Amino acid sequence: MLKTKTRGAFSFQVGIAIFLTVALLIVVIPFWRVIVTAFIPLDVYTREGVPFFLSPTEWTGEAFKQLMTHSQFPRALWNSVVITVLGVAISMTLTIPLAYGLSTRDMPGRKLIMGIILFTYLFSPGLIPVYLLITGMKLTNNYLSIILPPAVSVYNTLIMTSFFEELPVELKEAARLDGANEFQVLRHVILPLSKPILLTIGLFYAVYFWNQFFTPLLYLNKNELLPLPVLLRNILISSSLNEYVEYNAFSTSAVESLKAAGVLITMIPMLLVYPWIQRYFTKGTLVGGVKE
Amino acid sequence: MKNWRLIIVSILVATLILSACATATDKPAVEEPEEADVPEPEVEEPAEPVTITLWAQATVTESGPPPSDWIAYDIILEELGIELEYTIIPPSGDGETKLNAAAAANDLPDLFQITSTTDAKNRDNLHTYYELGLLAPVDDMFDMMPVRTETHYNNEILIGMVTFDGQIYGLPEPPIIPKREGFLIRQDWLDALGLEAPTTPEELLEVAIAFTTQDPDGNGQNDTFGMGGFIEGPGLGRRFNYVFGAYGVLDLWNFIDAGNFGLNVRDPQYYEAMQMMIQLVEADVIDPDWPTLSKDEFRARWKQGRFGIMWEDFAALTNKSNYEPFDKNFPEGTWTPLPPLTGPEGEAYYGLYEGKFQIFAVSQAAVDAGKKEAIARLLEWIATDGYYLLGFGEEGVNFNLDADGFLTLDGIDPEQAYNAPERQPYTQLRNQLVFYNTLAEISARYPNYTTEFSGKSMTPIDTYLSFFQAQNWVEGFAKKLIPAADNAADFERFYNEGLLQFVLGQKELTPEAWAEYLEGLDNLGAQEYEAIATEVLQEAGMLP
Repeated sequence: MLKTKTRGAFSFQVGIAIFLTVALLIVVIPFWRVIVTAFIPLDVYTREGVPFFLSPTEWTGEAFKQLMTHSQFPRALWNSVVITVLGVAISMTLTIPLAYGLSTRDMPGRKLIMGIILFTYLFSPGLIPVYLLITGMKLTNNYLSIILPPAVSVYNTLIMTSFFEELPVELKEAARLDGANEFQVLRHVILPLSKPILLTIGLFYAVYFWNQFFTPLLYLNKNELLPLPVLLRNILISSSLNEYVEYNAFSTSAVESLKAAGVLITMIPMLLVYPWIQRYFTKGTLVGGVKE
Repeated sequence: MKNWRLIIVSILVATLILSACATATDKPAVEEPEEADVPEPEVEEPAEPVTITLWAQATVTESGPPPSDWIAYDIILEELGIELEYTIIPPSGDGETKLNAAAAANDLPDLFQITSTTDAKNRDNLHTYYELGLLAPVDDMFDMMPVRTETHYNNEILIGMVTFDGQIYGLPEPPIIPKREGFLIRQDWLDALGLEAPTTPEELLEVAIAFTTQDPDGNGQNDTFGMGGFIEGPGLGRRFNYVFGAYGVLDLWNFIDAGNFGLNVRDPQYYEAMQMMIQLVEADVIDPDWPTLSKDEFRARWKQGRFGIMWEDFAALTNKSNYEPFDKNFPEGTWTPLPPLTGPEGEAYYGLYEGKFQIFAVSQAAVDAGKKEAIARLLEWIATDGYYLLGFGEEGVNFNLDADGFLTLDGIDPEQAYNAPERQPYTQLRNQLVFYNTLAEISARYPNYTTEFSGKSMTPIDTYLSFFQAQNWVEGFAKKLIPAADNAADFERFYNEGLLQFVLGQKELTPEAWAEYLEGLDNLGAQEYEAIATEVLQEAGMLP
């Protein structure tokens, strides 16, 4: 009986391992292909397409060079950094007190506020009302048009609220007994205990703002304000329409390499951040996402 | 230590906030006090400059807009009294969304380019804006810009396409270089195998089989195909024009026989063309990935020498960025343009010429603000005094003119040349509002050159464009007038997938199956769609 059970458990483990391996390959292979495509020399690409493996002696960073030496690249990168840093700062500044308030069970009107917030989660106002609002507030050609509309994510607020609710109430009560007001409770008791959720939600916001593409297209009419994803897309559109363009812009990289390099350039900053906060990230999503 | 950290963080945050909150301005901040210090002129005060907002696509999207100190801005301000605010809008669907959002908010710019995914959609969108009362009629602007009207707005068909209820609501810019694509074959492969260029679909099959099976590149490997292509356009797309043209059934509509207008699939010859395509597919002579290839992938493959027969744009074939890799891989390789194949009934059509063109429009808000005359003044200037400046740059600095009026780069610093990458931001409007396809213009854009690796003489216009344009094209301008079907998505899906299923052998092509396919189209309203199309074209005087 025990042997059967052990064999069954072993088979289950093997099954799980095979499943996870396949799942991993499904994720890794396309990613690997993007990496190979980004580093493939033009003559190899035009000779044989994209091989699965690239010879260690036959690779080039030409596609990255072409994108990163573009005259607008530094500016676009700075714009993305500004949008991301400010976006995260404003979003966190607004989300944390909101989540804290909602996590306080005896807060007057808590259910009503929660209902209003959930309503906006379920029913989006749509593009045109938001556009009218932004133009009415004279926020076109201003980064705030990118940052303010999504500044408070309902999803992130709910996760953070859930996390705060899990913290022992006694800590807050003790602080209040010592004379702390709600802001001091939040600042000196709650936030120091909430690093996982703060970093997790901060990362969510950072990824969101870093990837902003559509709203800059709508609200930023000055090219010097455009963030990196828009610039990269412009470069790629140009390279795909080269029959209408006369000058020799992309003679040293294949269009596919430029696309792949563009993907990697936009991914890398977030990939670099992720390992530093991974240990918090898992804890933050687990605790914040589970409601007991 | 903590204080220092606080100070640094404060400075960083302040910098970011200032960056974020500052509205972009083209003028340096120091200008304002200077203006304030200028004493009031005693002479008659000049009229306030008129600000005109212009939304248009870029010719080279990656190069960005002209800088704020662009000389053209100053000239336009000084000579025309216009403060031009030029915003680059993205092409295709992104630009369409941006325009639609602005239209919904009644926030359209003064002068703007209609942007969407297709020409037909451009016209539909123009009509929508017209119905919403957002556009101003431009009929009276033509008298204000006589030169531009003669060079740019001289096509009655295009004017008809932007006319609603007897008034013109759009400025149709000249089509991009017409009839610029064509049928090409690897001459070096023909020579290597001792073959003649095909003249009929049957000969095409024979040559394609030879290219596939007889190692035309001589590398000892079975790595070539006869033909290459991808799906671009309705049905199997125009990349197989040379097959369908031989049967007189190009594209969706039958524009060849005005008395028999309707969907081409109703023509018995379409069935024969399909049989020919099936023969080619079953003979495995077409690069087998053609149903799923993208344009970029297709182009990568002809550079790799994957196939020897194709349909391609002359500029895409000859521009350095595309041709150099091919030249490097195959120094002996040569693409030769071919005339159309002749079908069993003697028909030999090259392609359908639809005349892809741009539409600009003037917003009603601009006219309400009294800007119409200024807009006309600007457009006329672009077609006259500003033509070279906006199209190529400054004479003597970015180009020179020879005795025949053709552009030359003799004596010009290569980095300052009008076609240098660094100069592209200064001529972003050239494909949108400046060019109208004179020979001098086209020669400047697609000059002859010597290829780097093989040393061949590349003559894009003489060898390819002129040849393509001289072929037997079907005039298909009228296609733009035909509105999309009410159930366009369903109709197109059924139409496209049905043809593909036959060609790929997923459904056997028999007279019964074909009749069933046509019946399916009718069930989706094909006959009603044809009736609407006929009525529209008759009203426009394009059908008897």
